[in-house]
Amino acid sequence: MNATIVLLLVLALGLVSWFTARARARLLYAGRGSMHSMPQYHAWHVVLWVVVPAFVAWGLWSAISPVLIDQAVLNDPAAASLPQDPLQRSSILAEARSVASDPTFIGFSPLSTQLAEPMRAAQARFGLIGAILVGIVALAGGGYAFTRVRSRFPARTRVERAVMLLLLGASLLAVLTTAGIIASLVFEAGLFFKDVSPIAFLTGTHWSPANAIGDDVDANFGAVPLFWGTIYIGAIIAMIVAIPLGLMSAIYLTQYADTRTRKVLKPVLEILAGIPTVVYGYFAALTVAPAIRDLASSLGYPNPSTESALAAGLVMGVMIIPFVSSMADDAIAAVPRAMADGSLAMGATRSETIKKVLLPAALPGIVAGVMLAISRAIGETMIVVMAAGAAARLSADPLESMTTVTYQIVQLLTGDQEFNSPKTLSAFALGLVLFVVTLILNIIALRVVKRFREAYE
Amino acid sequence: MSNTWQTPEMTKRIARRHAAEKRFRLAGLTAIVLSLLFLAVLLFIMLKNGLGGLDWAFLTGSDATSADAAGVWGALKGSFLTMLVTLLLSFPMGVLAAIYLEEFAPRSRWIDWVEVSINNLAAVPSIIFGLLGLAVFINTLNLPRSSPLVGGLTLALMTMPIIVISGRNAIKAVPPSIRDAALAVGASPVQTVFHHVLPLALPGILTGTIIGMARALGETAPLLMIGMRAFVATPPGGITDPSSVLPMQIFLWSDEIDRGFVQNTSAAIIVLLVFLLAMNGLAIYLRNKFEVRW
Repeated sequence: MNATIVLLLVLALGLVSWFTARARARLLYAGRGSMHSMPQYHAWHVVLWVVVPAFVAWGLWSAISPVLIDQAVLNDPAAASLPQDPLQRSSILAEARSVASDPTFIGFSPLSTQLAEPMRAAQARFGLIGAILVGIVALAGGGYAFTRVRSRFPARTRVERAVMLLLLGASLLAVLTTAGIIASLVFEAGLFFKDVSPIAFLTGTHWSPANAIGDDVDANFGAVPLFWGTIYIGAIIAMIVAIPLGLMSAIYLTQYADTRTRKVLKPVLEILAGIPTVVYGYFAALTVAPAIRDLASSLGYPNPSTESALAAGLVMGVMIIPFVSSMADDAIAAVPRAMADGSLAMGATRSETIKKVLLPAALPGIVAGVMLAISRAIGETMIVVMAAGAAARLSADPLESMTTVTYQIVQLLTGDQEFNSPKTLSAFALGLVLFVVTLILNIIALRVVKRFREAYE
Repeated sequence: MSNTWQTPEMTKRIARRHAAEKRFRLAGLTAIVLSLLFLAVLLFIMLKNGLGGLDWAFLTGSDATSADAAGVWGALKGSFLTMLVTLLLSFPMGVLAAIYLEEFAPRSRWIDWVEVSINNLAAVPSIIFGLLGLAVFINTLNLPRSSPLVGGLTLALMTMPIIVISGRNAIKAVPPSIRDAALAVGASPVQTVFHHVLPLALPGILTGTIIGMARALGETAPLLMIGMRAFVATPPGGITDPSSVLPMQIFLWSDEIDRGFVQNTSAAIIVLLVFLLAMNGLAIYLRNKFEVRW
């Protein structure tokens, strides 16, 4: 509540100062005729001086005022009966804070209700002081900047410098996100590897975190079955579907289809990439998996399960088709026309040209595209969550249920959890492995694509 | 003079090559038809199962324990609020970063790092962003669990690289002559970019933004991580209330054993697909209407 008022106050001051400063700069403009900066730059310069120091002051005040409030409450006569233990003290103060903000809240300690009144008074007092402080800082900043509204003052340069800082800050956000991902994954995974040895985690073949109590923790966190399931579903079954279909559709669209057909078919194919994964997952669970089970049992396969690696991989492969197709499209388009023309002029048919000239020449690009597709498939979550199953097993049978890294991350982190048990922390270790593997695949693929493009330019 | 091309062996050989040509062409066509057939079957099954459940009560109701009473409005509102947070954060940040990288960034090691990390972030699995959101926003900053605020923040981090990449392409497509003209009549570099380059690049940036937002709207996995899977029977009132989103509602309903929820799930999928289709349609319309070929 208080924060909203202060925010509005500062913004109102900013608005007023914008108009005042522009009016003053315009007067100067009319008097002299020649100025370094246009009036609105003077206005923005003053606004910056009003708003930025005020927000800095508000941030500082929000950081120190809780301490001041607590001190004020402790000086209250009602606080004389507080226990000396600092831990109990702070917990009672925290309760008093909750009671002060919400009168219906009932604390464990009766003292907290007594202290709520002084707490509220102190909060109001220090809130008011803070608001006044912010107001003074804003006025001081604005006043300082206002005195500098002169014809020679380079307001535009100053404003543009602030804009550049903003631009730089925005682009650093991406680095910050990457750093945040790495830091949080490494930190939490580090906590996990304190309990479980990394070697047991990366090479063990038994995965059952639910049983990981007591001494044999190491034995229950062997992640190899998860890695196998991920590779089997994402990199093998899905690619068996996606590579031929994606590649052939790219070839047909670029080499055979006329412009009109291409214009219609390409966007329609792209729809496949735009469908949310949860929809694919539902389709896999509702239609594809039962169909595969029925087919398997009609072929005499004993007890096929509803959740199968094949169903998840198949649907995932279809999802990846447009991706492979557009990567292959780019790679083929990058091959110089002269190569294909030369082959056709020698009397080769179109399909011979494609198979013997275009595809070999485009191969690095296609391989990079497939690597990106694999990195996307192994990071895919919803399809495997809904269709692949929970059983961690090492098997080459596509009709068996299989689990993946992403499935286990979801499984471990949803539902009731105590945060620091090895069970929940193992999800971050799995996330770290997933992140590192996709990162490596992406970096290699992007580098191959870059070098490949340069080779033909 | 006997022609080597007309010997029986040669005719046979040419016929074989032509047959191979035809087979290859047919294989290409089959690949496309198979992919589109899959799409058609998917859409058909969703429509068949879901159309019966699409009525006013379904569109205005909230989640409930019985399939008949359950509706999609609560999740839809949650999705709107989440997308609002995502858009308000990722659009300005993405556009500003794109401007900096394309127009002002010096060639330095630092900037190379920024570019590498943006390109990689665009390809990082979405579930990793969920882990980041869980570790940073919920466990470190103690923001309210399963709220549109945290969901929007997480999705904004995921959407920003997409906006940066499409924004850079749009800015790159503005011809240098525009910049030269502005600079020549005395505009400063910042004025050139904000008064001339940015307005011309805006349609392209908006197209990329809409596509990124459509992807965020369909995203489920990162939101699972930050706990947006609770049963929420009332629509959220603000961005800090617990809420669900549309794809999450689909996921939750798909887990229900009651057969009635099959209809609900499919109907919710239809609603989601209609929104996505509308957004992508808007993106294509914008591109066709405002795109200038220089």
